[in-house]
Amino acid sequence: MEAVAPEKDHGVLYIGMDLGTSRTSVSASNGVRETVYSMVGYPKDVVSKKLLKKDVLFGKEALEKRLSLKMYKPLEKGVLKYSGDGSMTEEMKANLKAAQDLIGEAIRLARPRKDELVYCVIGAPAEASMKNKEAIIEAARAHVDSVMLCSEPFSVAYGLDWLEDVLVIDIGAGTTDLCRMHGTMPEDADQVMYEIAGDAVDAELKRLILQSCTGAQVSDLMVKEIKERYSFVGDTSERVVVELPVSGKPTQFDITEQMRKACSVLIDPILEGIYRLISTFDPEFQVRLKNRVLLAGGGSMIRGLDTAIERAMKERLGGGKVIRIEEPIYGGANGALKIAHDMPEEFWEKLK
Amino acid sequence: MGGTDRNTLKDAVRRIAFRTSLDSLKKQGVEQVSVLGIDRIIALIEEAVHRSLKSRFVGIERDAVADATKAEFLRLLRTNEDLQRQKTEVEKLRDRAQEEVDQMRRELSHQQHALAERLQQGSLPDTSRYAGEDAAIAAKVKDLVGALFRAGDVGSAELQERVLELIIDTVGHERRNAESARRALRDREVENMQRRIEKLTQSLETTEHRLRQVAAMKDIDDGISSIYREVQGLGGGEESYGKKKELMSAIFQANMRLQKKPQ
Repeated sequence: MEAVAPEKDHGVLYIGMDLGTSRTSVSASNGVRETVYSMVGYPKDVVSKKLLKKDVLFGKEALEKRLSLKMYKPLEKGVLKYSGDGSMTEEMKANLKAAQDLIGEAIRLARPRKDELVYCVIGAPAEASMKNKEAIIEAARAHVDSVMLCSEPFSVAYGLDWLEDVLVIDIGAGTTDLCRMHGTMPEDADQVMYEIAGDAVDAELKRLILQSCTGAQVSDLMVKEIKERYSFVGDTSERVVVELPVSGKPTQFDITEQMRKACSVLIDPILEGIYRLISTFDPEFQVRLKNRVLLAGGGSMIRGLDTAIERAMKERLGGGKVIRIEEPIYGGANGALKIAHDMPEEFWEKLK
Repeated sequence: MGGTDRNTLKDAVRRIAFRTSLDSLKKQGVEQVSVLGIDRIIALIEEAVHRSLKSRFVGIERDAVADATKAEFLRLLRTNEDLQRQKTEVEKLRDRAQEEVDQMRRELSHQQHALAERLQQGSLPDTSRYAGEDAAIAAKVKDLVGALFRAGDVGSAELQERVLELIIDTVGHERRNAESARRALRDREVENMQRRIEKLTQSLETTEHRLRQVAAMKDIDDGISSIYREVQGLGGGEESYGKKKELMSAIFQANMRLQKKPQ
């Protein structure tokens, strides 16, 4: 019954993937660009399996059907919830499988043709362990002809052709990664990671809402949606008014201040990271580096964040210029795609 | 466009056209139809292509683009044919899987039936089966003792009774042995059958799962073609070529180590 594998002689599909805690995005050389929430759900029992008519669901679809599913969020703080050693719990094994299924789904979303070679570069967190990276490679290898990993912030900078004297701030859900580029591959000393990122903003916003909006009921998902729609720091002319249920009755609340405060938790660690990476850089190039700060990742969509960081840099470092990348969701994937494109043929062949 | 190209295009249009009968059109309520000849369609396509190209290109460039467009059209057509073929193959696979499932279901039902029969046989009352045998043995013993008695040496009814008891006891003992052997044999058979049924059930589940997968593939996505026909790599004239080459090499080396490939 097994179908014969087609000969791969019709072309080469490059895929760039950004495997993130909150979202996994792909950009491919066939023009496909897709993003999926990094969530995987398996039917809880035979009844739900029959009802859903699927063995596994991903992203938004999984979220919508979550009551019938056993849900997994396989990445935490930017890395797989997986140790790879003898102490693997059942939960870790299940998370590993979820991660593998998620990578497979991301590659399927890129819609590769069976008769084309598929070469994929995955932007992996700089802090991921060796076992973690091996697991990602293994998962991807089942679906592609050749695969490579590279550091996420590096791929963002490479995608924009900013290879020298640039500082990338990649604000994800689990971590905020800062990486300075100076024309070579970044080393450990060139990278800083903080665990204060999108999820930390969500947690703080939820805490502030529950504290100030008497009787309001709110779930993690509701908070995430509110943040994605209204997040800002600094000054705003618009009030943030949301409707939340109070004992079953939709009630309006003004959460402008709560939103400002929650989003502002990102500024201090970012400033600390910028300070560390600039102050330890070659003094001749420090000014240039300060004026080439790239803001990327989902967190960079917070309105006013670039201005707020610039203002803080002015106070602490005497100035600086922050540029927000045009496509925060696809910045990493686009960069990974460019790396895949630029990689020589013999390198791909050797990694097959 | 040359004669051969025109014919190829004509063939292509014919292949994507569908046939219908006048009756069928009437049934759909169509009273009159406008007819457009294939040559006219080809001429219109040619004219449209040339008009479009004329507004954008001149001379040799236009011819080259026209040729490339034609080649791409034919390639797309072939791809479409491939897709159709693949779809048919998947449908065949699905039918075959369905047939396998049906066959397995029949086999499973047959095995279950055989097992039930076997179990029923095993539960039949043994007394009825052996009653006849006991009577035959008793008759033979009676004949024997009668003969002995007639011979005059052996005596009484009491003796006959005792001999009968003795023999029935002996036969009963033998029978019990034979019965336990028979039961052991039957248990083995039942066990084998149960194992076969279990195996068949598993096989049926696997095939049904595969069938579901094939059924889910009915809207097969054959993907989208990449814009690249061959592996690219850095171009020599690219900005920061040397630096990018070094970076690519560094990423590659790191991945060779990570994937434990010999250097």
